[in-house]
Amino acid sequence: MYRFLRLPILLVGLFMAVSSYAANDPQPTLTTEDSLGPEIQQPIEFPHNRHAGLRNPNDPTNSDPLKGGMEIDCQYCHTYARRSAVAGIPPLQKCIGCHQNIESVRNKPRIVELFKYWDAKKPVPWKKVHDLPDFVRFNHERHIKRFVEQQNRPTQEACGYCHGDVKSMTVARRQKTLSMGWCASCHEKAHPVTAAGGTPVGDQAYWYSFQKPAAKPDASGVVKAQGPNDCWQCHK
Amino acid sequence: MSVSNLLENWSQFRHTHPVDDKPHDPYKWAMSIDLDACTGCNACSIACYAENNIPVVGKERFQHGQQMHWMRIERYWDEDGREFADQGAQFLPMMCQQCEAAPCETVCPVAATNHTADGLNSQVYNRCVGSRYCSANCPFKVRYFNWYDYPTDDAVWPAEMSQQLNPDVTVRSKGVMEKCTFCVQRLTAAKSVAKSEGRIVREGEVQTACQQSCPTGAISFGNLVNPESRVHKQWQAQQVEIDKDKQTKDEKEEGSELRGYRIFEDMRPYPSVMYLERVRESAV
Repeated sequence: MYRFLRLPILLVGLFMAVSSYAANDPQPTLTTEDSLGPEIQQPIEFPHNRHAGLRNPNDPTNSDPLKGGMEIDCQYCHTYARRSAVAGIPPLQKCIGCHQNIESVRNKPRIVELFKYWDAKKPVPWKKVHDLPDFVRFNHERHIKRFVEQQNRPTQEACGYCHGDVKSMTVARRQKTLSMGWCASCHEKAHPVTAAGGTPVGDQAYWYSFQKPAAKPDASGVVKAQGPNDCWQCHK
Repeated sequence: MSVSNLLENWSQFRHTHPVDDKPHDPYKWAMSIDLDACTGCNACSIACYAENNIPVVGKERFQHGQQMHWMRIERYWDEDGREFADQGAQFLPMMCQQCEAAPCETVCPVAATNHTADGLNSQVYNRCVGSRYCSANCPFKVRYFNWYDYPTDDAVWPAEMSQQLNPDVTVRSKGVMEKCTFCVQRLTAAKSVAKSEGRIVREGEVQTACQQSCPTGAISFGNLVNPESRVHKQWQAQQVEIDKDKQTKDEKEEGSELRGYRIFEDMRPYPSVMYLERVRESAV
């Protein structure tokens, strides 16, 4: 009896299960090409995974890049992130600084290409992947101070909030929408002001925003503050 | 500011400033302009054009009332039958007064203009739909509308001229309203530096473009809640208080000897710019 209803009920049930899962997902999943931006071709296919990726778990002492990454800190190359609005692309000098001493990969095609630029005294024309619109003011320094210094989060985790899991990519690809709603979804949350091992900055350990954060700790015993949320903080 | 945040906290964004439950802390940007020092040289206006990527619209569009000068010098003439009439000119630099209870904010249908925590009247170009209601409601007439798409107008920014645009300021497109921002891009940069050092912005650390270019130093700009700041001292010396629509000093029958006043104070926009009345008879 009612055998003919089996398939519709199954389909409706599946639809509801999937849609309720999607509704609980804090960040919308990225499905369209548009939300990820265009796939950008770089002049040299820079392997982020070789440089920043985790070491080979089977052989942690071996730093041979072919068997895993080298866990180089993001800020070793993107050195301006902690002290200016932009993270910066490292100058060619920085690449050569290490690579002139790494004989083992000297004849690999990408390194040969790199040294061609060096010999021609020309910078590598890297393309911008995370390109915000001109009317947006984003400051890397503030986010590094907030999450890496004050909250003592690992650099790769803090950078990954916006840049995704770069250590597993070769050429960096945009992983988040970088839309205003996406930025605001984080700014509206109350984050702890400091954490164990973090460095509080003066008596303004939080950004002053429209809603001034409570100086008293909440029920969990942590002082939390929202990100700034007035328009001119980000729009220029 | 997402839409849900806007709707939930609507009453806060629509607060009449200044209010006791949200005192300005640690910043309230304010200005004072000494009209006695002002010579009407227009340097401030030019500096503003350069700093804020303002299009120079040309004679014809100016005559149509489509000028974009965020900072303009108003001229007033003494008509007392003097021999050289142009010696009787008085000047008044006029820009957005960053009103605490801004008439423009309450009428914007899309909340494109609202108040920031440090007492600025913000204008968000992306949110603006160009109804021009704010301009109609502004008693100072300091809001300017983009009637043309100036970035693509070859007469305004020819190819090589685009190199001199300020990258910290948006180049506005057709159909949005704009106005003086108190050089918010400089304020943001100064606040970020101060924040990293765990302090508030020091007096003199940040200047607006008009203040920087004024040859006679007529314009002072700073943090009104910082007792060390020049602006705070001037406002205090002139007994002008930001949250009053009628100053105590003016209640006396014989009036006040002090020069400080704010324009349209009795209309209760609570402007953030104080002018110091001119005392010189003329520059002769």
